[in-house]
This record gives sequence, C-alpha cells and structure tokens, in this order.
Amino acid sequence: MIDLDGVGVDFEGVRALEGIDLRIEDDEFVTVVGPSGCGKTTLLRAIGGLQAPTAGAVRIDGDSPAVAQAGARLGFVFQNHTLLPWKSATENVTFLREMAGEEPRREEAQDLLASVGLEGFEDAKPRELSGGMNQRVAIARAIHLGADVLLMDEPFGELDEITRDELGVEVRDIWRRERKTVVFVTHSVPEAVFLADRCVVMGATGRIERVFEIDLPTSRDEDVFGSRAFQEQVAAVRRTLHESYA
Amino acid sequence: MPEATRFTRHGRGWIERASYPVGALALAVGVWWGLTLAFEIPPFLLPPPEAVAARLLNDPALYARNALFTLEKVVYGGSVGIVVGFALALGVAYLPWFRRAIYPYLVTARVLPKVAIAPVLLIYLGTGLITAVVFVALIAFFPVVLSTAAGLSNAPAEHHDLLESVDAGWIRRVVYVDLPYALPDAFAGLKQAVTLSVVGAVIAEWIAADNGLGFVILIASENVRADVMLAALAVLVVEGLALYGAVTLAQRAAGRWSALE
Ligand SMILES: Nc1ncnc2c1ncn2[C@@H]1O[C@H](COP(=O)(O)OP(=O)(O)OP(=O)(O)O)[C@@H](O)[C@H]1O
Ligand SMILES: [Mg+2]
Repeated sequence: MIDLDGVGVDFEGVRALEGIDLRIEDDEFVTVVGPSGCGKTTLLRAIGGLQAPTAGAVRIDGDSPAVAQAGARLGFVFQNHTLLPWKSATENVTFLREMAGEEPRREEAQDLLASVGLEGFEDAKPRELSGGMNQRVAIARAIHLGADVLLMDEPFGELDEITRDELGVEVRDIWRRERKTVVFVTHSVPEAVFLADRCVVMGATGRIERVFEIDLPTSRDEDVFGSRAFQEQVAAVRRTLHESYA
Repeated sequence: MPEATRFTRHGRGWIERASYPVGALALAVGVWWGLTLAFEIPPFLLPPPEAVAARLLNDPALYARNALFTLEKVVYGGSVGIVVGFALALGVAYLPWFRRAIYPYLVTARVLPKVAIAPVLLIYLGTGLITAVVFVALIAFFPVVLSTAAGLSNAPAEHHDLLESVDAGWIRRVVYVDLPYALPDAFAGLKQAVTLSVVGAVIAEWIAADNGLGFVILIASENVRADVMLAALAVLVVEGLALYGAVTLAQRAAGRWSALE
C-alpha cells in the first residue's frame, strides 16, 4: 500500500505539488493524468524516493521510500527507456537486479522477454530495436527486479499511437499476470482511462483535481476503445481537465 | 550494414585503405631520393634513403638499445601520468570541493608550455631516469584528467535515477554507468597522453639524460650526422605508432562493454 499524506514539493519558489493525499491499495492500477507541467513526474518521483517532499510524507507499506528502494521494491520505467546501449536485451533486463545487489536470473529474464513479445531478440542491442521494443525491455527489467510497485512515467510518450494502444493492452495483461501495484503517469486521457482501476486527474498548482473510479471490465483488449462506457468515461475525465484549466 | 563494416575492417577494404598512406610514403621517399640525386645534395646535409637504411642495418643494436631506453621513459612516465590523471579525474568528477579548488588550474595549465618545466625538474631531480619519468608523467596527465573528467558526466541523468531507485550506491553507479559512458572521452585523452609521452621522453633526453633516441638525435646533431639523426627519427616514428596502436587495440577490446561504438 502506498500512502501519501499531505505531500508537497517546492522547487525554489515553484510549487510543483501541494497537499497530495492519496492512498493506493496493493495490486491496484492507478493512472495519473494532467497537462504538461502539472507535477505528474514530481509526484511519481516523490513516491519513488527520487524527490524528497518539502511537506508531508510518503509511505510504502509503512516504510519510507528510501527503505523501499533498498529492498528493491520499486520498479521505475521512464519515458526514455534508459537501457544501457552496450548491453543486450537480456543483459539490460538483469542489470537492474544486479544493481540492487540481487542474483540475476538469465533464463527468467529471457522468459520475460518472450512474454513481452521479444522472443528472438534476447541478444539485440537497444540500437537494433525500435522504440516500442526497447520500452518493452525496460518493462521486463522492472518486472525482473521483483518489485511489487511499478512506477511508470509516460513510458509510451514517444511512441506512435498504434504501438501505444498495443503496449497499453500488454501492460494491463502483465499487471494482471504479475499482480503488481502500478502508478502510471500519462498526458493521454484515453490511455489513462483504458489502463486504470482509478484515474487521478491533476489540476493546476500541483493538486489532485478529482479521482475517477474507472468502470470497465478487468480484462481489457482493443475492443474496449470502441465501447460506449470507455468513451463516456474519457469524456468525463476530459471535462474535469478542461474545467480545471478554464 | 554490420556485414559491410566487417568487410571493410578485415577484408579487401583493409588493403585498399592501407594502400593510400603506403603509396604516399613511397612517393615521399622517392622524391627524397630523387632530390638528393638530381641536385647532388651532399650526404652530410641530406643523405639519400639508402644511406639512412644502411645506418640502421649497420648498427641495429645501437638503435634497438636506445629505443628501449626511450620506451622505458614513455611507459613508466606515461603510466604514472595516466594513473594520476585518472585519479584526479575521479576527484574532479565526484568531489565538488575538489573540482572547485583544482579545475580552474587544470584548465589554465593547458596554456602553460610544459616544456618549460623540464629545466626546472633538472635542478631538483638531476639527470637520469627519474627526471624523465616525472616530466613525461606531467605532460601525459593533463589530457587524461580533462577528457576523463568531462567524460564522466556523459551518462544521462535518468540512468542515475534508475540506479538510485534501487539504492545501487555510488560505486556501482561509477563502475557500471559513468565509466562505460566516459570511455570514449577517456580513450581520446589516453591517445593524446601516449603521443605526448613520446614527445616528453625525447625532450627529457635532450635536457636531462644520456641515453634514448632523443639523446642519439642530439649527439648526431652536434656531430652533423644527418644519417644517424634520420635513422633514429625513423625508429622513433615506428615506436610512437606502435604505442598508439596498442591504445587503439585496447580501445577496441573495451568497446564491447562500453559506449564506445
Ligand atoms: N528539478 C526541478 N527544479 C525546478 N523546477 C522543477 C524541477 N522539476 C520540475 N520542476 C517544475 O515543477 C513543475 C512540475 O514539473 P513536472 O515535471 O512534475 O511536470 P509534469 O506534469 O511531469 O510535466 P510533463 O507532462 O511535461 O512531463 C513544473 O513547473 C516544472 O518546471
Ligand atoms: Mg513529466
């Protein structure tokens, strides 16, 4: 369980986050949506202990983020894949585990790569793979770490829309299979609705505007995009966003 | 594409690429030979190529022995310079107070003609190997510090975030991320250091030594023996190229686990 209690972050005069109260249950998929500069990245970094809050506190299963980091309980996926260019896909997947001081498991890493559709690319270097494939490697790396919390910051932000949709479906599948707690930041409203159990809409001045319970089937594929329920909820989130920036 | 590069590196392309510089060298030697013949230049001013070759073949031991003396200075001095330079680069890159205190001097020291230090060293260390080693080390370490320190900031900040997110610690970050990213720059500095080490060794041999190829050139110059000078110079060029080649080979070997390619 992730618990944010009155979290605020100031950057020398710039208020990036203010009064964030949020509780995220185990195995929950939460998306955070909002326009550029509203503090999404700052929020995710605060949860993951990369940014110390200037007010309030973050708890992960009752521990500080630093303790969670040391226990390899946090798996980040960034907008840029942050794979090491000189390592193969398999080596990149095991790399983070090694950096956490844990035993890497090559076979398991290769199974993971296969499970994200990268069978046959185990030895490929990042420059030999497409942006979407590299992002898949980065996701496999976070899962291989064995963290129960996945923190994803616009991981598909630089991909085309078709690849985005595909990866969205896959991330939902992975989440169902692996039972992770996911916090997923995006500025795409449809993506935020499609993926979420709950969707956090951030408003200006780094506050939470509203939290939507997303009412869609647990198992989701591309067909969801055309469904009425999906479109209505996208519209509702959009409305909230536009109202808060009116 | 990788197939094509492999082909140029090891296949017929290699011979083709080498043929240009080899051809240029042959042409230069030919012109040299033609000049000495056409203008009947006296051999004590400019001996013909075959006279220089004859010098080398007449007394190979002399050139080999002195090449080793020079190599000794280059290897000892260069190694000290590279190790010290590398250590300073780590300090500059990771200790803010150290960088603030030292970096301005390192940067301004670039304009200092380091040759001017040699006579100063002579006073304190006398003639001999130690003076040469210290001088070569001094000359070699500058490019290593500056380029390695710069290279250590090559890694994207997000890579640091990634490692911090699992509490990897400073040492792992340096070893597994920063250093591999720094290697291209570090090797650029290393190549400069090796080239400068040879220069430094020769200068040291002019000023404070009684052996080495530089010393041979100096004595030959005093005795107006152009053939001996040119023979020693030729050996020096080969020695410098071999050292440079060794660094290039090391760079290739390191390429597999770093950001070199
Ligand atoms: N290290 C920093 N120093 C100073 N200001 C910062 C820093 N990081 C973020 N900010 C500021 O905090 C605010 C929130 O930034 P943040 O990166 O969290 O937004 P975001 O919602 O992730 O935006 P985007 O969608 O563009 O990624 C912005 O005004 C930004 O300029
Ligand atoms: Mg952001």
